[in-house]
Amino acid sequence: MNGRKSFGAKKGGRGGTTQGKDGQRRPMFRRRKVCKFCSDKIDDINYKDAKLLLPFVPERAKILPRRISGTCALHQRKLRVALMRARQLALIPYTAE
Amino acid sequence: MTRKYELVYVVSPEASDDQVTDLHNQIDAIVQRFSGTSIEKTDNWGRRRLAYEIGRHKEGTYVLEVINGTGELMKEIDRRIKVTDLIIRHLVVRVDETQAVIERTKAARSATSQRRRVARGLPAERQPGEGQRGDADDDRDDRFDMGNERGMDR
Repeated sequence: MNGRKSFGAKKGGRGGTTQGKDGQRRPMFRRRKVCKFCSDKIDDINYKDAKLLLPFVPERAKILPRRISGTCALHQRKLRVALMRARQLALIPYTAE
Repeated sequence: MTRKYELVYVVSPEASDDQVTDLHNQIDAIVQRFSGTSIEKTDNWGRRRLAYEIGRHKEGTYVLEVINGTGELMKEIDRRIKVTDLIIRHLVVRVDETQAVIERTKAARSATSQRRRVARGLPAERQPGEGQRGDADDDRDDRFDMGNERGMDR
């Protein structure tokens, strides 16, 4: 892990293994990510529902990538449209100062 | 051929309640002028904080109108809204097609679940108190505590 960016410890990290104390390599525990909209059976990703969309715009107000959120491709596309509409109506920010 | 549209507009915070109703009446008047069109629903969300400043406004009154109309009607409404200074932001979205898709997926899902339940020898409908977790439909609140990163991948 040395030399690499130390994202490995976090959930979204890519690192497959981590160095144990005794120098052994063991697989890192990572919970499987599932699409929130699939698992909760939300069919309608609506731009009016700011409460639903807000978790997908972190601090900098950029759209959270699939790689981090685990959203499936279909729902990420729908989410993107909803987010962009909500942005236009000033329900969610375009950017954070 | 009528289609269903949603119109959301943000009225300047300086506007009084009367002015907001007046704007609604103006839009209603345009809708009445066209034949076979109607306002299906009006919903005033009240005053909300804007996520960013528009002009120098930090707040705005949101109004949603669900309109059954034609493209020409929406074009006219759009034009009128653009020249109205009191409305600081608006959005027109056509919804009938997406709603049809949503309905279809819902119907397909419940049909599948009923078929499977019957195949397992259960009654077609879900019984109260069944399943591990309660139906998440009503209590959405647990899904929004995502300030930390871990909440994300449940």
